[in-house]
Amino acid sequence: MKIGTPKEIYKGEARVAMSPDSARQLQKLGYECLIETGAGVAAAYSDASYQEAGVRVVDSAAALWAEADIIAKVRQPETSELKHLSANKTLISFFNPAGNSKGMEAAKDAAVNVIAMEMVPRISRAQKMDALSSMANIAGYRAVIEAGNNFGRFFTGQVTAAGKVPPAKVLIVGAGVAGLAAIGTATSLGAITLAFDVRPEVAEQVESMGAEFVYLDFDEEQQDGAATGGYASVQSEEFRNAQLAKFRELASDVDIVITTALIPNREAPELWTKDMVEAMKPGSVIVDLAAEKGGNCKLTVADKKIVTDNGVTIIGYTDFPSRMATQASNLYATNIRHMITDLTPAKDGQIVHDMEDDVIRGATVTFQGEITYPPPPPKVAAIAAQKPKEPVKELTPEEMKANEIAVFKTQTKQQVMLIVVGAALLLGVGLVAPVSFMQHFIVFVLSVFIGFQVIWNVSHSLHTPLMAVTNAISSIVILGSLLQIGSGSTLVVILSAVSVFMAGINIFGGFLVTRRMLAMFQKS
Amino acid sequence: MEAGFTTAVYVVAAILFILSLGGLSGQESAKRAVWYGIFGMGLAVLATLIGPGHYNWLMSIILIASGGLIGYVVAKRVQMTEMPQLVAAMHSLVGLVAVFVGVNAQIELASIAALRDAGDQAALDALTGFAKKLAQKDAVELQILKVEVFLGVFIGAVTFTGSVIAFGKLAGRVTSAAKKLPGGHLLNAGAAAGSLGLMIMFLMAPAGTGMWMLIAMTLLAFFIGYHLIMGIGGADMPVVVSMLNSYSGWAAAAIGFSLGNDLLIVVGALVGSSGAILSYIMCKAMNRSFISVILGGFGGAAGPQMEVEGEQIAIDADGVAQALEDADSVIIIPGYGMAVAQAQQSVAELTRRLRAKGKNVRFAIHPVAGRLPGHMNVLLAEAKVPYDIVMEMDEINDDFPNTDVAIVIGSNDIVNPAAQDDPNSPIAGMPVLECWKAKQVFVSKRGQGAGYSGIENPLFFKDNTRMFYGDAKDSINKLLPMIE
Repeated sequence: MKIGTPKEIYKGEARVAMSPDSARQLQKLGYECLIETGAGVAAAYSDASYQEAGVRVVDSAAALWAEADIIAKVRQPETSELKHLSANKTLISFFNPAGNSKGMEAAKDAAVNVIAMEMVPRISRAQKMDALSSMANIAGYRAVIEAGNNFGRFFTGQVTAAGKVPPAKVLIVGAGVAGLAAIGTATSLGAITLAFDVRPEVAEQVESMGAEFVYLDFDEEQQDGAATGGYASVQSEEFRNAQLAKFRELASDVDIVITTALIPNREAPELWTKDMVEAMKPGSVIVDLAAEKGGNCKLTVADKKIVTDNGVTIIGYTDFPSRMATQASNLYATNIRHMITDLTPAKDGQIVHDMEDDVIRGATVTFQGEITYPPPPPKVAAIAAQKPKEPVKELTPEEMKANEIAVFKTQTKQQVMLIVVGAALLLGVGLVAPVSFMQHFIVFVLSVFIGFQVIWNVSHSLHTPLMAVTNAISSIVILGSLLQIGSGSTLVVILSAVSVFMAGINIFGGFLVTRRMLAMFQKS
Repeated sequence: MEAGFTTAVYVVAAILFILSLGGLSGQESAKRAVWYGIFGMGLAVLATLIGPGHYNWLMSIILIASGGLIGYVVAKRVQMTEMPQLVAAMHSLVGLVAVFVGVNAQIELASIAALRDAGDQAALDALTGFAKKLAQKDAVELQILKVEVFLGVFIGAVTFTGSVIAFGKLAGRVTSAAKKLPGGHLLNAGAAAGSLGLMIMFLMAPAGTGMWMLIAMTLLAFFIGYHLIMGIGGADMPVVVSMLNSYSGWAAAAIGFSLGNDLLIVVGALVGSSGAILSYIMCKAMNRSFISVILGGFGGAAGPQMEVEGEQIAIDADGVAQALEDADSVIIIPGYGMAVAQAQQSVAELTRRLRAKGKNVRFAIHPVAGRLPGHMNVLLAEAKVPYDIVMEMDEINDDFPNTDVAIVIGSNDIVNPAAQDDPNSPIAGMPVLECWKAKQVFVSKRGQGAGYSGIENPLFFKDNTRMFYGDAKDSINKLLPMIE
């Protein structure tokens, strides 16, 4: 079968859905690759480079649409493109099925099978074709670069001969893929990076990237992102207020704000209000990655860069991936290639559209003249449900004091009990036993007591030397045999002699081994 | 020499022994502490030799010297990895000495009783040393003496056979699996009850008689020691060794009572309590009660164990070396397998090379890793791994999530996630090293078998785990040239 990629006709779109590299891989799967002339120019791929990779260059879009059995492209197809569609062809591209019913109808009528790249389910197996993530990664990186481009200072703090430079403070709102990419970029440029997300479980990821997670003083059970497929969902009013209060507090302090908060299939939530923008220092920069969905800041103008009256730059570009067309095309083409690999189980250049497969089923929006959107929930849960964590309560000083007193009291109680019981036992023994025994018994009890006190302090790593040394000194039983060896009875003498001999082995062996062990411990 | 002087020397020796144990609280002071112990022992023996009641010092010195020579040679030659069996073997000596001393006391008692019956006052007055002391005791004191002798012999006998079996298990000469004769604990209980009956008979019998009861009890105690330790699996050896250590101390204390020697009592009590505390710490580290360890084997599981899904994925030395090159922080978890393969030098060399590259390399030691408390620390110290990068479980367990690579070398149960995840696992609730939280885990292991406790380890099937099969020493040596 033939796979073709037309030139993107959306204004300003520089990406292309096939790279020479991906074409080579597709040919290994048994496909023939076609590309419209000039399709890769904006992404720095010339027709010649495609030809070198074995791709046939087709002169016009119409010819390509007509000839290819599978069309791979980037942007959602325009009406003019949809006209080219004919039965039993497969279209793989972004499709925006939730907001493109016209397009879906057209595809259904033409009996075209459409695979929408944004519908790839978020499960581990499908990560290699998750184009949203790979594009978001680029957007996050580019957002920081754009912010830096419009920001009048260094990111990193420096002390130079010409004066001290404070580090830039960057706040990232929303720690999804784009947010995390932005965090990584900002921290590696040297900025102090703060990040916020409504899903508290991402705090660990945020901190692993080197940013500081902004916690809210908020009690309500926070949502578990796993239940919504790893995406954020709508917040309660109280939560929103606590969140806005925190942002208001941060607004005057931060230099760069990058907002990436999107909720699937909804308008972007307003997180950075007008008064926060007004509180920011002149020269600050806001990059609103949600501009396409209305923006996390209401002052954002989609596809434009504006400067407010108080000198804050707000960037509302919606084409960050396209601004890094080569990189974006590479990643996107690889996502497409993985999708086609999954569609070609036999590697024979024939598509098998397996509607039983979770990933393929999830991404397919029209199939054999039927609209199959929205898909049923996947059989495999996307992310393991998070176990509810026991909240660690911060204790007030009074509570801590009360706790300490309680612990102290129970300890005192235990000790007093032990002493009383021990004393009673001792007295009991003293009542029946003769004085000569009691003298030794007191020595015994005191020694046990000293032993317990001393041994608890022995450090963990020295337990083996402790065993060796206690073994060596337990050969003190030699004293017993020494006292008996002078006896008149021959049998006693023989037994004592053997005992002295064995104890001698133990004394020397035990201490020497202990010394050998201890000699090895050294500090670095 | 006067008895008062001997007692004074005993006091000094007792203080030296206490300081010797107390000094083990830190690595540096420990080096001093062992000298305290040696001096204490030297003083005690010397004072006894020149003190009252001793008449055969030439023979004693010759015996001590020849025994000492053997001890010296053995201690010099022994490999650090053979330390557990050496300690166990030496415990058996202490146990046997205690038995002999107790039997001797009974023989003396018998001869004195014979003299008394004969009414030979002159012979009684002519008695010297230990026998003289015995002859002066009144009826109640004699009765107490009999209890002390009996207990000393009993504990000593249990210690003797128990230590011999522990030695055999640790040295691999006796199967390390838990083995019981038919009848199991009933046999032990029967033997213990028999001993108790013999003791009552022994006490009822007139002083100086009843030698056969003592001997019979000794045989029963030998059996208890043998059967008790045979019934304990190899994984519980750290507890067993420290328990026997404790027994040898109590035996010495009991002997001290029967001889009326305070130094013996003091030292016996010190050693006894030390061993008891160590056993307690070990048991706690395994989340098992002391009783269940003594009774041997792991308790029965409450239900079916979780099925382990997935497969073990192998990796070769190149892959491990690559991951180590990329890692910033590495935690190494050594276990008994490292000791068996004598891999500590190679591991130390690996550590040195990684540290030279500026990586943060640390060791995580589980309290029951190896076959002896602190076993791993000693091996690593032998290989000159600086001890300040050797961490205890509690110190390091929280650091695993921030660690790039965890290397498990020859340990199994102490890194088994089933202890936390599977309430039906026989080791459920045992604190374990949470190495699976590291980004990558490499397990150096000889083959696919289960651990000492025979439990399947889900760690080996985790996504971030790679199995590095082969002898630990060979495997690490293969890595070394790749990390320059």
